[in-house]
Amino acid sequence: MPVSKEYIVKRIILLIFVILGVLFITFVITRLIPARPELLWAGPHATIEQIERARKQLHLDKPIYIQFILYLQDFLTGNWGISWRTKSPVIVDVLSTLTATLELVIIAFFFAFIIGIPVGVLAALKKYSWIDDLTRIITVVGASIPVFWLALIVQLVFGSWLGILPSAKRVDEWIVIVTGFKPVTGFYLLDSVIQGNLPVFIDTVKRIILPALVLAAYPFCLSTRMTRAVMIEVLSEQHVKSLIAWGLSKKTILFKYSLKNTIVPVIASLGLSFGYTIIGAFMVELVFVWPGIGFYAAMSLLSFDYPAVIGCVITVAIFYSIINTLVDMIHSIIDPRVRL
Amino acid sequence: MKRFKHQKIILSLIIKKPLSLISLLIVLAFIVLGVTAPFIVPYPEDAWGLTYNVEKRFLPPSVEHPLGTDALGRDLFSRVLLGSSFSLIIAVGVIGLALLIGIPVGVVAGYYGGRVGTLLMRITDMFLAFPPLLLAIVLAATLGRGLLNLIIALAISWWPWYARLVYVQTNTVKNMPYIDAAKIAGLSNIKIMGKHVIPNALTPTMVQAALDMGSAILEAAGLSFIGVGVKPPTPEWGLLVSEGWQSINYAWWIAFFPGLAILTTVVGFNLLADALRESADPRLRRTILMRLGVKQ
Repeated sequence: MPVSKEYIVKRIILLIFVILGVLFITFVITRLIPARPELLWAGPHATIEQIERARKQLHLDKPIYIQFILYLQDFLTGNWGISWRTKSPVIVDVLSTLTATLELVIIAFFFAFIIGIPVGVLAALKKYSWIDDLTRIITVVGASIPVFWLALIVQLVFGSWLGILPSAKRVDEWIVIVTGFKPVTGFYLLDSVIQGNLPVFIDTVKRIILPALVLAAYPFCLSTRMTRAVMIEVLSEQHVKSLIAWGLSKKTILFKYSLKNTIVPVIASLGLSFGYTIIGAFMVELVFVWPGIGFYAAMSLLSFDYPAVIGCVITVAIFYSIINTLVDMIHSIIDPRVRL
Repeated sequence: MKRFKHQKIILSLIIKKPLSLISLLIVLAFIVLGVTAPFIVPYPEDAWGLTYNVEKRFLPPSVEHPLGTDALGRDLFSRVLLGSSFSLIIAVGVIGLALLIGIPVGVVAGYYGGRVGTLLMRITDMFLAFPPLLLAIVLAATLGRGLLNLIIALAISWWPWYARLVYVQTNTVKNMPYIDAAKIAGLSNIKIMGKHVIPNALTPTMVQAALDMGSAILEAAGLSFIGVGVKPPTPEWGLLVSEGWQSINYAWWIAFFPGLAILTTVVGFNLLADALRESADPRLRRTILMRLGVKQ
């Protein structure tokens, strides 16, 4: 089923406008709301020279519309300012943290869907039974848990009290040194498999389980509820009735016809739950000392490192827009009605 | 008359299902506690964070201190209880402010349509391009810590959802014959919007808004946890959890109970939202009514 080039081009143009919008709003918030943006930019305890330098960096001596153009130019050329906490350019810091977060989020979504979709299907098939009620309670509670608190409790119980799994950092530095592990892609699971480095792989798996499960709580609830709702809808449709009338077995109807129609809208909901998950990653990474963009952003927030915070926010927002566009495109490939 | 009956059915549906009843009770208890907490806390000075008592540090839960004491020897029960007031203020403030921005934008955009409508909705879309909470994080980092700043930051990231909702509703309402009648009768646009469009377009939004209070509490707590919410020693639940974090290995209760308070409250709101959504959907309502044996 080919998607027209026109649709893809249209979506990409739209994406560019969305990113421009994101940059515009960030500009308004960071430059127009504070009375003296250079004070925020230079950080606490800044000297007069540092503040003056920040003023120059932000082009505050120029008219506002030129400021915006220069701001866009700075953004595109990677001139995002210097983090005063790490003393390195924000863009370098931010980009180096991205893979850690991506790895965590991907594993979290894997958990969420691998558990969520079957549970949702089960709840839909046993509609109004105790299984359905239990699922509802679990998903509502799961969606209401403060994720940072869940992270703390899980870390305390499984990491400290029971001591089953390590609950901080991506990998043990000692193992890295001993085995001579060198990350290439930045995805440690992938890297250790490529290099055939078993100790690092096992350690990475052990360390990713807890944070990924905590992070999976919200997308799990969302995908379960979505699957249940859509499955009920799909099963009540006319074509299912005709399949029953044809004498097809329940199994065939479920796996061959209904499941496919159910999964499409569930995938389409991925965009929004990705947004929640990446923000959840800010807190989960902070608790689990996971060196991703969330940890970096949270540490920057706690130490009032303003350029670093803005860099993270813009990166995450752009990433979110790209994911949404991709989800829409995939959605349109599976379900041609969306293309209209 | 018909409207009254509709609401009565919804209410009876909620009371009949145990889960919904529990959620209703949680929400009511939260509101009552939030309003009365400043007057009923057992140790008011501890609650406001004005004191510290070295001998009483890290006491586990006991009769005297039902939830134990924190790192500064303050009664945790008092602090968590007073926290409900702050959460209530934040929830009402955020939702109220978001409605105050969202409703006019949505109504004007929906009613006038055309270029004004497109422009307003494009601006709304720009805000929606941010993942939830991210915009609040930049705003809170820009404005600085504080209760009012937290409310403003969350409200500004929140209003676009209401603007969208009101916009869609207004679009439906404005094509109704009675709006044409009002126009022919010579009412001004502002009067039509205020008297005829807003009241009719608002019900779904208001219901949504009331139930969003749970999410507002959750997100405010998250912001406080990562250090851009309220200032210490405010007994806000998210901040209380973060205060208990350092000592979690030997005094788990300090982080545990405020989090449990957040969880309980938000579950209450979300379960109620769930029940309302179900009873508002006529197809679902009939099946539930039949199962419960309620005569319609």
